[in-house]
Amino acid sequence: MDRYEVIVVGAGPSGLSAAIEAAKRGLNVIVFDENDKPGGQLFKQIHKFFGSKEHHAKIRGFHIGEELLAEAAEVGVEVVLGATVIGLYSDKEVSVRIGEEIKHYKGDTVIVATGAAENMVTFPGWTLPGVIGAGAAQTMMNIHGIQPGKKILMLGSGNVGLVVSFQLLQAGCEVVALVDAAPKIGGYGVHAAKVARCGVPFYLSHTIKEAHGTDQLTGVTINEVDEKFRPIEGTEKYFEVDTICMAVGLSPMSQLLKMAGCEMEDNPKRGGQVPIVDEYGETSVSGVFAAGDVSGIEEASSAMIEGKMAGVCVCGYLGYITDEEKDAELLKLEKDLESLRQGMFAPKNRGKLIEKTEEGIDISMNLLKKGYVADDEIERFPGVVHKVGVHPVMECTQNIPCNPCQDACSKGCISIGNNITCLPFIKEDSNCINCGMCVASCSGQAIFLVDEDCGDGTATVTLPYEFLPLPEVGDKGYGLSRNGEKICDAEIVSVKSVKAFDHTNLVTMKVPKEYAMKARFFKCS
Amino acid sequence: MSVIDRSVDIGGFVPQPDDDMLICRCEEITKGEIRKAVHAGMWTMTEIRRYLRTGMGLCQGQTCSRLVKGIVARELGVSPAELEPATARSPMRPTEMKVLGKEVS
Amino acid sequence: MSRITEHPILGVKEEKKLVSFTFDGKDLQGYEGEPIAIALKANGVMIHRYTKKEHKPRGLFCAIGRCTDCVMVVDGEPNIRTCVTPLKEGMTVQTQDGVKAM
Repeated sequence: MDRYEVIVVGAGPSGLSAAIEAAKRGLNVIVFDENDKPGGQLFKQIHKFFGSKEHHAKIRGFHIGEELLAEAAEVGVEVVLGATVIGLYSDKEVSVRIGEEIKHYKGDTVIVATGAAENMVTFPGWTLPGVIGAGAAQTMMNIHGIQPGKKILMLGSGNVGLVVSFQLLQAGCEVVALVDAAPKIGGYGVHAAKVARCGVPFYLSHTIKEAHGTDQLTGVTINEVDEKFRPIEGTEKYFEVDTICMAVGLSPMSQLLKMAGCEMEDNPKRGGQVPIVDEYGETSVSGVFAAGDVSGIEEASSAMIEGKMAGVCVCGYLGYITDEEKDAELLKLEKDLESLRQGMFAPKNRGKLIEKTEEGIDISMNLLKKGYVADDEIERFPGVVHKVGVHPVMECTQNIPCNPCQDACSKGCISIGNNITCLPFIKEDSNCINCGMCVASCSGQAIFLVDEDCGDGTATVTLPYEFLPLPEVGDKGYGLSRNGEKICDAEIVSVKSVKAFDHTNLVTMKVPKEYAMKARFFKCS
Repeated sequence: MSVIDRSVDIGGFVPQPDDDMLICRCEEITKGEIRKAVHAGMWTMTEIRRYLRTGMGLCQGQTCSRLVKGIVARELGVSPAELEPATARSPMRPTEMKVLGKEVS
Repeated sequence: MSRITEHPILGVKEEKKLVSFTFDGKDLQGYEGEPIAIALKANGVMIHRYTKKEHKPRGLFCAIGRCTDCVMVVDGEPNIRTCVTPLKEGMTVQTQDGVKAM
């Protein structure tokens, strides 16, 4: 039996972050992961992350994964892949299946970072080939380069459902509907808005009645539900689909911790069965830590910080750093974590109905129900202003911990105020130079550059564009409204793709000037 | 974690229209079978698992355990959080006997 | 189902080596090292197995080796998770019926 100072279970964002913290302070660390590639779910995340610089904001998930792997290699973290931990015991012994053998390891400390598993819901036909998890869809298109299907219905309007819907569109699939039994969209409004403007209809207060097909999925019937989630007769809608994606939440994969004898609790705010941990992730079993989704469902950004905390704690536990050093490190990390856990979507606000922003502005009800801010609602948000000449219009309407827009503008036009969750606004005396950095840096793709009056009865709208084929200058088509409806003619007048935009192309379309504040997407005719 | 109070009267089994809904995909156990098991006295997740084999198939309950818990809780009139999950033990993932027998140290 | 030849974020996939395998006796091709299930999907195969009790079709569901719905008989061995088992030249893949080949 081999002995290690730190055994980490899971090479995802939190496990790797933990291993790096420990290894760079000289501890000998081994990481086991049952998959054949490290990085957990990070390599399936092709969208730009939220947060601030410390949280890798505006960097795409898979790039963060690459950075983590490089750092882990640099500090000498040993990652064993295809290594399934099948047992964890209270004396910190770990049984691992590697190949066709079972091996045992002893850890002075163990960090469990096993992540989460997808929840599922049942409906007649849910076992048919073609009904898949949203994670499966991400794996197929973003890792293996294959479309999960041609015509897809997404069930679930949380961030996973919204983000994966957008990714499906990027992969060239058609998303026929986004359905959720809840009366309001669960994920970020900006994620919903970028799906809605592509024309995907949202059906809130709807659920799947039945999936059709004998050998494989051929269609699906949804129906509306009342406030007690009972189906309403006569509201059935049928869609021809070959794929249903389920994105109905995650549950911590905490069985190893339970097996090790850690005190557990069922905490709905954390997503299910979780270990009872102190603020830095130590469980009731001394020297056994939990980090990331396994101790409560959150985002990859917070999982990485929790991982770092656990990594720092094991260094303290084994005497590699002094208490003072440990406390100083943890204080920094705690601050980072705290800033992520603010705003409307903070864990503490889960399940709460929030009707006003921190600034006291009414939340767009249309956004919560249909996925886009209505024309008569958008003007009340501070990022939406009218000016002469080109200027940013920031359709950021919910308090989310995110601030890359502020850092992106070299002219200092954009400010988010004193709190990271505040809605961005344009400074009074600012001078936009039409560089587009703000548009490309907004992880929510909620910033547009608008010239409301070009002097000839037209306006220009510059929008973020992450699809293929990329429009070309001179292309004619339609301007689409925030809900993806064709509302006017549009012509492409500029297409910018520079390295700093990281694949978020800036497409400028010319539209009749009365559509300057309405047209938010382009479709070729 | 609350201890199940077995003196509570949960009433008899009343058929529901979706009793034939498959819950455990591996062992092909339906909602009706799970509900009937509760009325046969299987009130804990471990008992249900042993009685019906839900969560004992190839995937080891990765997909259905939350669903089964929800059904049992509703039948007992408690919240799912009040039910202790089934025992966690090694091997955590399906492992062939020939591999389990090949321990090296 | 179509392979994504060029992706707006991920770019063009690097060329991998095509290998041949058989599925229920038919000759198919896929990329070496990709999961068997992906190669099957690229060839339009949706049904991986029929269940033991109800004889119902199943296919890819979680795609990360967890749910075990996609198991098939590979090179004579049943219950192989095709979503995490790499494709190799000359593999014999068969639809699973219960715990044996169809």
